[in-house]
Amino acid sequence: MFGLFSQIGTVIVMNIRSLPQRLWMSLAAVLAVSVVVAVLLSFLSMSNGFASTLDGTGSDSVAIVTRSGSQSELNSVISRDSVNIVSTAPGIATTTDGQPFYSAELYVVVDGIKKSSGTEVNIPMRGISRTGFELRDKVEIVEGRVFEPGTNELIVGQGVLGQFDGFDLGQEVTFGKTRWSVVGVFSTGGSAFESELWADARMVQDLFNRGNSFQTMRIRLAEPGNVDGIREMIENDPRLILDVDTESDYFATQGEALQGIVFFGWGISIVMGLGALAGALNTMYTSVASRSAEIATLRAIGFSNLSAFFGTLSESILLSLVGGVVGALVSYLFMDGLTTATMGPGFTQVVFTFELSPALFQNGIMLALLIGLVGGFFPAWRAARLPVITAFQKAT
Amino acid sequence: MKDLFLVFKNLTRKPLRLFLTMFATFVAFLIYGTLTTFEDAIDAGVELSADDRLVVVNKINFTQPLPISYVNRVEALSNITGVTHLNWFGGYYQDPQQQVITFAADPESFLTVYNELLLSDEERTAWLQNRQGLIVGEALADQYGWKVGDRIPLNSNIFSQADGSSAWEFDVVGVFTGTDEQANTAATYFHYDYFNETQTFGRDYIGFMGVRTSDPQLNEQVIKSIDDMFANTPFETETVPEKTFNKAFIEQIGNLSLILGAVVFAAFFIILVIVGNSMVLAVRERTGEIGVLKTLGFRSERIFVMVLAESLLLAIASGALGLFVTSLVVNILNSIPQLPVMVLSTDIILQAFGIMVLLGLITGIIPAVNALRLNIITALSRQ
Amino acid sequence: MSVLFELKNVVKGFVKGKEKISIFEDLNMTIEEGDFVAIMGPSGSGKTTLLNMLGGVDQPTGGEVWFDGERIDSLSEGNLAKWRANNVGFIFQFYNLMPMLNAARNVELPLLLTKLSGKQRKKNVETALTLVELADRAKHMPSEMSGGQQQRVAIARAIVSDPKLLLCDEPTGDLDRATADEILRMLQLLNQKFNKTIVMVTHDPAAAKYAKRTIHLDKGEFVEEELVA
Ligand SMILES: Nc1ncnc2c1ncn2[C@@H]1O[C@H](COP(=O)(O)OP(=O)(O)OP(=O)(O)O)[C@@H](O)[C@H]1O
Ligand SMILES: [Mg+2]
Repeated sequence: MFGLFSQIGTVIVMNIRSLPQRLWMSLAAVLAVSVVVAVLLSFLSMSNGFASTLDGTGSDSVAIVTRSGSQSELNSVISRDSVNIVSTAPGIATTTDGQPFYSAELYVVVDGIKKSSGTEVNIPMRGISRTGFELRDKVEIVEGRVFEPGTNELIVGQGVLGQFDGFDLGQEVTFGKTRWSVVGVFSTGGSAFESELWADARMVQDLFNRGNSFQTMRIRLAEPGNVDGIREMIENDPRLILDVDTESDYFATQGEALQGIVFFGWGISIVMGLGALAGALNTMYTSVASRSAEIATLRAIGFSNLSAFFGTLSESILLSLVGGVVGALVSYLFMDGLTTATMGPGFTQVVFTFELSPALFQNGIMLALLIGLVGGFFPAWRAARLPVITAFQKAT
Repeated sequence: MKDLFLVFKNLTRKPLRLFLTMFATFVAFLIYGTLTTFEDAIDAGVELSADDRLVVVNKINFTQPLPISYVNRVEALSNITGVTHLNWFGGYYQDPQQQVITFAADPESFLTVYNELLLSDEERTAWLQNRQGLIVGEALADQYGWKVGDRIPLNSNIFSQADGSSAWEFDVVGVFTGTDEQANTAATYFHYDYFNETQTFGRDYIGFMGVRTSDPQLNEQVIKSIDDMFANTPFETETVPEKTFNKAFIEQIGNLSLILGAVVFAAFFIILVIVGNSMVLAVRERTGEIGVLKTLGFRSERIFVMVLAESLLLAIASGALGLFVTSLVVNILNSIPQLPVMVLSTDIILQAFGIMVLLGLITGIIPAVNALRLNIITALSRQ
Repeated sequence: MSVLFELKNVVKGFVKGKEKISIFEDLNMTIEEGDFVAIMGPSGSGKTTLLNMLGGVDQPTGGEVWFDGERIDSLSEGNLAKWRANNVGFIFQFYNLMPMLNAARNVELPLLLTKLSGKQRKKNVETALTLVELADRAKHMPSEMSGGQQQRVAIARAIVSDPKLLLCDEPTGDLDRATADEILRMLQLLNQKFNKTIVMVTHDPAAAKYAKRTIHLDKGEFVEEELVA
């Protein structure tokens, strides 16, 4: 008894052996699939990298208070009075010396020069205090030192250093009339804060004529994720026209800004995938045509038409899989780890790194498989229905 | 050409293969057409900017304000034909997600400096006379169904009124169009005076100025005199040609043309490989027939041309189809107000036909040379 | 009768890798206008090679081939093509019709090489098809016709531009007796009534009987030449 599986095995081996005869056609199919997968994964890893940068920015144990309806830190304003009132809300952690653990911050935009294009771009500058450092989990000075409060000193995020000109350690920067010196470089574990310049809050207030107002208030929560106490207070006090959220919720919505890229990436890849599918179908129909005598001969010997079907289908899937893996590798080699900057939701530059995750890799392989499956199915159907009599006819 | 029939018959002998190959080519040109038109639409903001217009912003960054007193001081300079000022309002309609590009402007000077916005005389007068008057771009008016006479509220995500409300009431007094098809009409403008008197965050500041020079050649000179005038003040300025400003603004997003170009290149690469291969295959299958034609007395060059004509015909037919569908897609995309106005221009079409010819020649050249070189005896014995 | 073909000291060999195969070492022959020659001989004796040289499809390694006072073995490829178009009609064993063209279009092919107008071409095609008794099949595709019918279309294609010479390589090799006879009678008619010179390679002695004379080839030599009454 010659089992179906060994029959299929025989046909597959036969197909693979004859692949070199159809080398160019097969390579064309592989290449087409790999380009489609590479394009898809490049877009997906772009938006994935952007989203994970912004996701990593928000902490669950930090609350952010902004002016109601402001939508971004840039548009927000909070007066000193409001800050003082909110700081008395329940649910706020306390510092070692018993004070409410919060940081009132400014967020303004200054010009920087993007290295890749040489044009002026919006760089966020944060007015912050030492508490602001302690409040964030992962702040670390990687070079130089922290700015001295009350001086025109600033420190720059690692991302800024890589993508924008003019902020090297030790350099002097002029904003309007004032000159600032870069005294340190900080890292925040890859979050969007690394795209910022940090300076003493009071100095930033002066430079930008902010009087004694701030833009956001960061609060360390006594209980991670719980902002109910603060929210209740804001809602009950008519003087406070403010919003409160955990930082992670706040940035999660902002990370969706590049969601459009995901749609675009999928859209374009599917359209291109249809083109590649046409190529795969062409290849497989040709393969079936060129092997029709062999297929018919095997059928005449007694092979089932299922073996002809699966033999052809597996050839197609194999070719597409190879294409998918090649495409994914290309995208991994050239895209993964690529750092760039784009206009983020806060109207300022966000530095981020392309990130090709295993889940995305799976997406790419799935797309390749789909092309292989559809591209192989119809030709396989034809192979299965090939009349046995073909074997006895002269090939013309 | 008498052989055209033969070329056509060769092309159509395997309808399934023809369809698949044409489809692949069609897809590539659809991608090319759509993305290039899109890129063109984005660039239109740069292309349409007036050469004789400058933008004056705060030197620190364009989101920082300037004092309103600057307007008069710039007006006093020579070689300037108009100065106007604008404030970004951060507008949205009903839902914070429904952002509406809204500026507070000084109507009279605005309409002279930005004279590419077209309003009827009645609308113009109505706007000048109504302090709460709002002029709305055609694209926005279409999107929200606004028409002259409507009273609508717009909210600001930056400013608020004394009572804490962020909503302003406006009378729609005019719907403007642009002199150019691709002009951005997804914006609204209202009176600076109304804005300045009602908002609470510090009055008498402007966002930026638009300046018209008497001659683009004098731009450099005017830029220098403006920036020098405000040097060493608390509000230093940076003056740039409008084109430069718009370009830099787009560059903030990233190198879009690089990304779009790469995608188009990838698409063409795919079909080059697919179509090239299937042409080689199609001609190889015809080895015997080509041998017969040569035996009958068809010259090799003539057969060479026939094969090239076949691949050209394939590329042009499917490419033209791709462009046609592009025009449909562009129509659909133009009904999405968030996207810039896309126009499938003659330039793009001509360029596309250039690419079709190139593609046809590249995919046809190998099989055509094969056919040219084909020896009659081997051809006839190989069948 | 005037001499149409003259082969003088023709040498022909092939180089296959390092091996040299010699087929003709010193071949001389003449074919007169209006002749009908059958060439017979065992497989591999060089019949097709000879026919190819006569048709200007293959060139001798040495010696000369003269046609109607013109030396054709030294013509350029382009000129040979023109010469073939003007003077030779080919008929193959497997008909070699273009599968995507109908009978009329197949017959029209050689006329595409002339300056004839579309209308005139159509007329000539009709005449040729009538001659092979296939006028009613003009619109049929090759796949819709029998072997004999296809070969008649091929004959029509060979004669449509009115060449002096017809070269046939086993024209009946793929056909049954009755059909073969039909084809051969047709060739004979073309020879007798239209004064076409015909050179025909065949394995079939019965077919050779239709010719005026038969040449036997063996190991590159003429073994015997017999005249058929
Ligand atoms: N292109 C070639 N290259 C090498 N050798 C060739 C070539 N063409 C023909 N030959 C050789 O020349 C010899 C004569 O071949 P040809 O085709 O003329 O024989 P034939 O008499 O027509 O045989 P058949 O009756 O089988 O058709 C054969 O030995 C063949 O192998
Ligand atoms: Mg032979």
